[in-house]
Amino acid sequence: MGIYKYAVLGGAFALASVLNFCVAAKAEDATISVWSQDGDIRPAPNLIADYNKLNTDIKVEYREVPFDDLVNEALRAYSTGQAPDIIAVDNPEHALFASRGAFLDLTDRIAKSMVIKPENYFPGPLASTMWKGRHYGVPKATNTIALYYNKDMFKAKGLDPDRPPQTWAELLDAARKLTDPAANVYGIAFSAKASEEGTFQFLPWAQMAGVSYENINTDGAVKALETWKLFLDERLASPDTLTRGQSDSTATFNSGNAAMAISGPWELDRMVAEAKFDWGVTLLPVPEEGAERSSSMGDFNWAIFSSTKHPDEAFKVLEYFVSQDDRMFRDFGLLPARTDIPIAETGQPLKDAALKVFLEQLKYAKPRGPHPEWPKISKAIQDAIQSALTGQMSSREALDQAAKKIKAVLG
Amino acid sequence: MSSFVNGKGFDIALVALPLTFLLTLSGLPLIYNGLMSFQQVDLFSLGTFWRPFVGLKNYTELFAMPETWPIFANTAIFVVSSIVGQFLIGFGLALFFWTNFPGASWLRGLFLVSWVMPGLVVGAIWSWILSGDFGVLNFLLRESGLTYGNVFWRSDPNYSSWGVIVANIWFGTSFNMILLSVGLSAIPADLYEAAELDGANAWQRFRTITLPMMRSSIGAIMALGLIFTLQQFDLFAAITNGGPNNSSNVAQYWAWELSFRQYDFAKGATVSVIMIVFVILASIVYVRSTRHEARR
Repeated sequence: MGIYKYAVLGGAFALASVLNFCVAAKAEDATISVWSQDGDIRPAPNLIADYNKLNTDIKVEYREVPFDDLVNEALRAYSTGQAPDIIAVDNPEHALFASRGAFLDLTDRIAKSMVIKPENYFPGPLASTMWKGRHYGVPKATNTIALYYNKDMFKAKGLDPDRPPQTWAELLDAARKLTDPAANVYGIAFSAKASEEGTFQFLPWAQMAGVSYENINTDGAVKALETWKLFLDERLASPDTLTRGQSDSTATFNSGNAAMAISGPWELDRMVAEAKFDWGVTLLPVPEEGAERSSSMGDFNWAIFSSTKHPDEAFKVLEYFVSQDDRMFRDFGLLPARTDIPIAETGQPLKDAALKVFLEQLKYAKPRGPHPEWPKISKAIQDAIQSALTGQMSSREALDQAAKKIKAVLG
Repeated sequence: MSSFVNGKGFDIALVALPLTFLLTLSGLPLIYNGLMSFQQVDLFSLGTFWRPFVGLKNYTELFAMPETWPIFANTAIFVVSSIVGQFLIGFGLALFFWTNFPGASWLRGLFLVSWVMPGLVVGAIWSWILSGDFGVLNFLLRESGLTYGNVFWRSDPNYSSWGVIVANIWFGTSFNMILLSVGLSAIPADLYEAAELDGANAWQRFRTITLPMMRSSIGAIMALGLIFTLQQFDLFAAITNGGPNNSSNVAQYWAWELSFRQYDFAKGATVSVIMIVFVILASIVYVRSTRHEARR
């Protein structure tokens, strides 16, 4: 592990010196540097290429940073004064930067902007860009999770494929009916992995039961965790749920080894290509009829570093990015975080129906946090999920311990 | 000038060069790491050297965490089991190939393939082998009638760390075999001839000639084994991520998790320092056993 750390440090120093040189050489031209994890087929490099074609007096440079390094690299760059002007940061990490003044407060600029209008955004993604009521960024894209289900299997087991489970009790009931060990079919697939993915999947359940991370050991959360435990104890979900990420879990749904799966719209293209059966998507089931809906909220936000030498130019570039939001789905397969942009039909009936559900689910999506120490809060929740599901603690004890750890973080 | 060609100056230059290299590339990061474990490190103070000094706070906090002792216990089990497994199988294979049957050297070379593969690739392959529902291992165990149901090697807290240990033994065995083979071939054949004339049987020859003559090789391989297993990170990242519930988490993976997942760099450094102490102890054993060799 030591080796990894030093290699990363060494790389950062080398990079910092190179960047330093570039910035010094071109200071007058208002060059705006942008970092994100986007590769060739994702928005950032393409939008930047298009912007540079407009030939304004602002030149935009792009650097692709792998997801695992993005936050570390950005923090090191910021603390040594080498931060880029604009960054696309994962939404639960936005508050970390905003709370420490690393991101530029955009509130006044947004108020004057003709392009960026807060009222056009889904509330969840917008909230993740805010800190203490001020705007520190703009949502770049968004996603959420809902319930995929195999309609053919529903029919085969005597369930109504047009009436998917709406409550937790119905979901459990359906999972029990659909589970068929002889045919290698589990009722449901999800992820309880000890990583951010586990938190991402569990929090909506707690939120639907009226719980937030600040009171994670209340009855609603215990009930949510108990329900998850039933899935595993009764073998309605694979025991590998504990160590498998969302992508691998959903793969078992695509291959017909799970009858339902909880996952997001990023799976749509793969599912259209792989799934050889009729499937549908429905909103995440709620604890009981009429209960509050909720879901997770994923994807990245744009932000401007407060250390930028060209805040006005950087904001102009940001406005350009936002003005291209209507291409987000058509060209890059991502959902724009906006309520005012209709998603065009793709001509794929299964996909179009699913997208409608995801857009509906997005209305209830809540950000994780926002809190500057989110990774620690998330870790406490992951530990609780894992110790309860492995049976090493009761759900109540596990959540009590998580609440204690979270309280220590919140201070 | 002449002293630089064949005198003291040349000696000093020879020593100074590697020493500078070591100090800058290993010494400084080690000191930096040690320093960090006594400081309050914050994401935004990463770039600075002088940060608030907090004494032993990081250490006391670390040992107050409920997962600390289980993780160190896992580390000990992982290290001991991996080394013992790698050594026994490696030594067995080395002795087997030492008999020099036709094609022995070819086969020995082929065994090295496992050592050449990148850890993440090995991890990904083992993660499929150990997978619960569709894993190859479960299929073999079930078909041969050894188990009835599927064993969830990665997700059952009772087995998860053994899954990684098995993968690591497979990974490191060939390296053990090669080093031990080198040691074996250095033993003069006339010793065995003389012993045979005196009527010593195979076991007596092994116990009184092979083992004592291999002492320094074995010491070196044990020390290297300790260092390699304490460095083993990729397999954890690829197979279990230290889960479920930290049941397969070990110090090296945990240090990374603390630093780069929870951004608690001070605690990550603290775990590293504790590990460094153990590695230094192992290095002393290693240096002693190889110094013996150089004098001979």
